[in-house]
Amino acid sequence: MSRATAPLLPKEDAREAALFFVVCALCFLAAFSGLVARAAYAAAGEWTSDVAGQITVRVRGSESDTIRAIELVKATPGIASAHVLTRAESEELLKPWLGPSGVPADLPLPHLIAAEAVHGANGVGERVGAKLNEAKIDAKVDDHAMWSADARRATDTIGLVALSAVLLLAATGVAVIAFATHATLLARRDIVELLHLTGAKDSFVAGLFERRFLMLGVQAGALGALLAFGAAAFILFAVRQADEQAWLLPQLSLSLADGLILGLSPLVAGAAAMLAAKVTVMRSLSDMV
Amino acid sequence: MPEHEFPSDEPVLRFDRVGLNYGPDLDVLADVSMTLRPGSMTFLTGPSGAGKSTLLKLAYLALRPTTGRVSIFGVDTGALRRRDLAPLRRRVGVVFQEFRLLDHLSAYENVALPLRVMGRQEASYRKDVIDLLTWVGLGDRLDAKPATLSGGEKQRVAIARAVVAKPDLIIADEPTGNVDEEMGERLFRLFRELNRRLKTTVLIATHDMALVRRAKADVLRLADGMVVRVQAPPDSPEALA
Repeated sequence: MSRATAPLLPKEDAREAALFFVVCALCFLAAFSGLVARAAYAAAGEWTSDVAGQITVRVRGSESDTIRAIELVKATPGIASAHVLTRAESEELLKPWLGPSGVPADLPLPHLIAAEAVHGANGVGERVGAKLNEAKIDAKVDDHAMWSADARRATDTIGLVALSAVLLLAATGVAVIAFATHATLLARRDIVELLHLTGAKDSFVAGLFERRFLMLGVQAGALGALLAFGAAAFILFAVRQADEQAWLLPQLSLSLADGLILGLSPLVAGAAAMLAAKVTVMRSLSDMV
Repeated sequence: MPEHEFPSDEPVLRFDRVGLNYGPDLDVLADVSMTLRPGSMTFLTGPSGAGKSTLLKLAYLALRPTTGRVSIFGVDTGALRRRDLAPLRRRVGVVFQEFRLLDHLSAYENVALPLRVMGRQEASYRKDVIDLLTWVGLGDRLDAKPATLSGGEKQRVAIARAVVAKPDLIIADEPTGNVDEEMGERLFRLFRELNRRLKTTVLIATHDMALVRRAKADVLRLADGMVVRVQAPPDSPEALA
């Protein structure tokens, strides 16, 4: 029967428990920030793609002006489709501002034309405006370019901030892991020394600590990532339970990219812990004869 | 200082005018020259603070000398890189004064440590380790952790660990310091048996002059960082010369 099964390094102690907690917390923060950053970028893409190519024409004149306008809009090069919004469609658009009771029957609504440009066509809104102006129709053309640019700038900023937070957290995580690993190893210098004097090669001694701290980093990182997943899932659930305004929030989708972020977190944590252990042990060993 | 030299073609351990200091005025060893021939058994004696432990640390390659040269198994260690010292250390068994047992390992696992470092499989050494621990009187304490062992028991585990890999050189720092006279005698017989049967070279630092007298072995006396007196065993060629 085999007897010598105990690892050469002692099992977890309080120092490793503290390190586990630190790595876990940092991985949670980093993974969650990563998810938020990705969601912000995704939201920016969705918002701008939703409005890209959409042109709204508000006709201030009579109904006959609207009929002339729709013909002109449809005839403009680069327009894929166009139609005059019905009263019901206009009321639906106003619902968020006027509430579920609807629009009063006697309230005049503007005549709106919703048009869609051919994908990739440029300057369509300007051409529509010029045609209507030429035909002396009092109308305002909105191709959402300004709003789209603002939205992209805003979400880009959010994404950049989140990405910076991820990088900062990752760097802090690596530094803290390295520091905590170093402190943990200093407490076990006696083992390092004994193994060294017993004739163990540096790679043998370092390997023991590398494997131990790789596992610690991966396990703590996995737990942190799991908590980030839980937090993201909770927010996703809460957002979906919320009213229609929730679409304004960056959507946490738990997609493949999110899975990649969650999956990479423990690996990065494990690699950082392992590298820190290797550097620390090798440095300790190099101080010895 | 005249060098005491045992006749040997290739000394197991050789100190050539070795000095070690921790600063300009902190000489621990001043000018030590000595040679251990293969298969010899040597006691290192001297008052506390004379530098015995330091000399042993130089011998088991835990320190490098400030001056002079330490050669082991015919190899000048000063010319070696760090990584080249590991194979030499595996040929040396050390009984540390403070035992240096690993608290999380059992007596059995502590003794087996050098064999695990060598990459040996447990099945290949299990019987040897158990036999050795039984021989030192700890056959019923195989699974005991150091915290539950007495000072004498720890010392016996430390000695078993030093000899388990059948090293070419055994260096022991006060190996009988924490055991009674009977156990001290028994442990000494273990060293003597390894020395005679396997021709293992043994260097023991001790204060136990009664043991030294009974042993009839070579004696180096260290005082003020220098080897000041050397005594060969009564029946050795040196003593008869």
